[in-house]
Amino acid sequence: MNPAGASSPRQPDSYVLVVDDDPAILTTVSEILQFEGYAVRTATNGAEALRLVEHARPWAILLDMRMPVMDGWGFARALRTRGIDVPIVVMTAAADSRRWAEEIGAAGHVPKPFELLDLVGAVERLRAG
Amino acid sequence: MSADSLLQLLTQVIFITVFGVVCARAARHRTRANMDTALLFLAFTLIIAQQWASAVLRITPAGIAGAMSGAFLMALPYLLLRLVDDFAHVPRALMWSAAAGLVLAVAALVLYQLLPWSSGAPSPLPLPLLLALVAYFVALMVYAAARYITEARRASGVTRRRLQAVAAGSLLLGLLLVLAPLQMAVPRAAELWQIASRLLGLGAGLGYFIGFAPPAWLRRAWQEPELRAFLGRAAALPHLPDRSAIVEALERGAAGALGVPGATIGRWDEDEQALRFQLRGPALREALARAQHLVSQAPFWVEGNRFLLKPGRMIAGRAFAQQQVVLTTNPKRDDPAHAPFYDAVQTRALLAAPITAGERRLGVLVVYAPRAPVFAEEDLYLVKLLADQAAVVLESHALIEAAARARALEEAARLKDDFLSAAAHDLKTPLTTLLAQAQLLARKAEQMPEAPADRAGIERIIAEARRMSALVNELLDAGRVGQTRLVGQRTPIDLVALATEVCARWPPGRCVLVSAEPVVGEYDSHRIAQVLEHLVENAVKYSPNGEPVTIRVWSEGDQVRLSVTDRGIGIPSSDLPHIFDRFYRAANVDDRQFAGMGLGLSICRSIVEQHGGRIWVASTPGHGSTFHVVLPIKAGGGAV
Repeated sequence: MNPAGASSPRQPDSYVLVVDDDPAILTTVSEILQFEGYAVRTATNGAEALRLVEHARPWAILLDMRMPVMDGWGFARALRTRGIDVPIVVMTAAADSRRWAEEIGAAGHVPKPFELLDLVGAVERLRAG
Repeated sequence: MSADSLLQLLTQVIFITVFGVVCARAARHRTRANMDTALLFLAFTLIIAQQWASAVLRITPAGIAGAMSGAFLMALPYLLLRLVDDFAHVPRALMWSAAAGLVLAVAALVLYQLLPWSSGAPSPLPLPLLLALVAYFVALMVYAAARYITEARRASGVTRRRLQAVAAGSLLLGLLLVLAPLQMAVPRAAELWQIASRLLGLGAGLGYFIGFAPPAWLRRAWQEPELRAFLGRAAALPHLPDRSAIVEALERGAAGALGVPGATIGRWDEDEQALRFQLRGPALREALARAQHLVSQAPFWVEGNRFLLKPGRMIAGRAFAQQQVVLTTNPKRDDPAHAPFYDAVQTRALLAAPITAGERRLGVLVVYAPRAPVFAEEDLYLVKLLADQAAVVLESHALIEAAARARALEEAARLKDDFLSAAAHDLKTPLTTLLAQAQLLARKAEQMPEAPADRAGIERIIAEARRMSALVNELLDAGRVGQTRLVGQRTPIDLVALATEVCARWPPGRCVLVSAEPVVGEYDSHRIAQVLEHLVENAVKYSPNGEPVTIRVWSEGDQVRLSVTDRGIGIPSSDLPHIFDRFYRAANVDDRQFAGMGLGLSICRSIVEQHGGRIWVASTPGHGSTFHVVLPIKAGGGAV
């Protein structure tokens, strides 16, 4: 396991996108993923996330649903319209996380508060699949 | 048979029929009024009997027998006056003079041994005497008719019609007697007088028939408009908010439908185990309280403006306990133990019907009148109908209230559920960071035991734990809204300094403070800071375009003003009055975009109001909002 830092040789030029309006969660999730050796970029809402995706394609997206400006649904719709097909894992504290994940055609969901290993496991599965 | 004879026969039959009916009634209920009525029509019948006898036997009765018919005729006004006296007071002097007049008239007639009713032949009665007799008759008849008309105006429904009919009949009879001297004055128009007198006789007969013995269908026809009006009103009654208003409306309707001055409903009170009546007017209350002392072991008592009666006791209580309609035209006789009570309420006739819905005994409907005899058998049927209608109305109202209570409980449960799920959701956010960060620290420590402690990570854990703690406090505060426990010790603080601190917590440019000079007052600094922070937080949250939020602080006389202005999405005018309600989210706030419990503003309002201040908001949707707070400078001062 590499310490948090530059992109690992496993994922050249690509990254995991973490989208959440809570800055503490962004920092913590980034740290966790970086500790696993992944490159991470963050966005605080759907609009910011969209700009990042258009600039450089991530290989996985961890998506909070409730955000200002553009929420998770709006973001997923925007991706679909642009034909961008990146697997999404829904990360939300709401009780309906499974249903919301299905609604937007996500690859999986990790309800908050999550176990660290559950989060890491969900991302690993995306990389494998 | 000529038309003339037919008319006469018809009139005679009518009078005899009425006589039969009132006799039967008098036999059933031996009241003074019924007896007097029977006497009155006995006189009519005797006149008619004499007419038939003379027609059959073809003799003109002479002597005493001849005078008797005239005597009976002269007796009519006196008997009618006795009837008037039964239900309305007639001055004693008038009664005595009427009696005296009758005696004189009979004496005069006996003296002259003549029938003033012979058809066609001139009467040998001297004109003065005849005129005197006619004047006596007509005067008393007109007086009686006038009394009936006055009573009719005070009554309603069936009773009014009956009284009017009797008045009309009496006037026609009076008119009939006036014809006698006219007949003598203009003998050439004998036929005209004949027809006129027959018609007047018939008219009087019909009037008395309608007044004293109206057939059931006629009674019902008269009752129908009142009943229909009552039923129509009754449909709207269950929706009245106040049960005593419903009871009052039912009482008024019942009194109107039956044509009596008073009706009262006694509702069964389970706790008191008594029938509860509403009292209107202090005079009645005092009279009843006095009666309570006069009656030994009184089964009733007065409490404030309510009158309570034990079931099974007294006429109304009996009707309730036995579940039967009870009629009395002499309550003092039928319930002698409580005579002072009936005197106190001045009731001479009483009709009580139980109000029962299915199996549930709801109470009793009591209809009363200060004079008898106003009620008849038909009224029993009608009052039962009214009591049943009252039962339906009261039951409906009870059901409506129960439904409203159930809805309120459901609503409260729903609010609680919404609140709990919102609270759980909001607490999960800092908890996520807490758990994940702690686990990351553990992982790092496990895999790189020699690395230095991750200070930043530990700080983050502490910060999130504090955040959760603040949220939990907010939840507790929400419970304290409306009680006085939100605001604690007040100390002199500078609001400008406070506002500066609040502003400083935001990235530069986000929050701007505008103020002229320091503004000092006595407040709970922690709570006022909470209010300011929440207002600014909201302003920032709902200004996604990043425009700065402005705080203004200034003093106005003995008050202090604060305002927080944003240029964000604004608040729709329909939501403005509710924005400070607990759990309220405005219509233009998408729950998915802006998570929150909706508690903050209600807590702010409570804090401000417990300081003696006021908080309100002005807003233009799409342009922004300004929240205003006004606080007194000194504790205990109320801000206008």
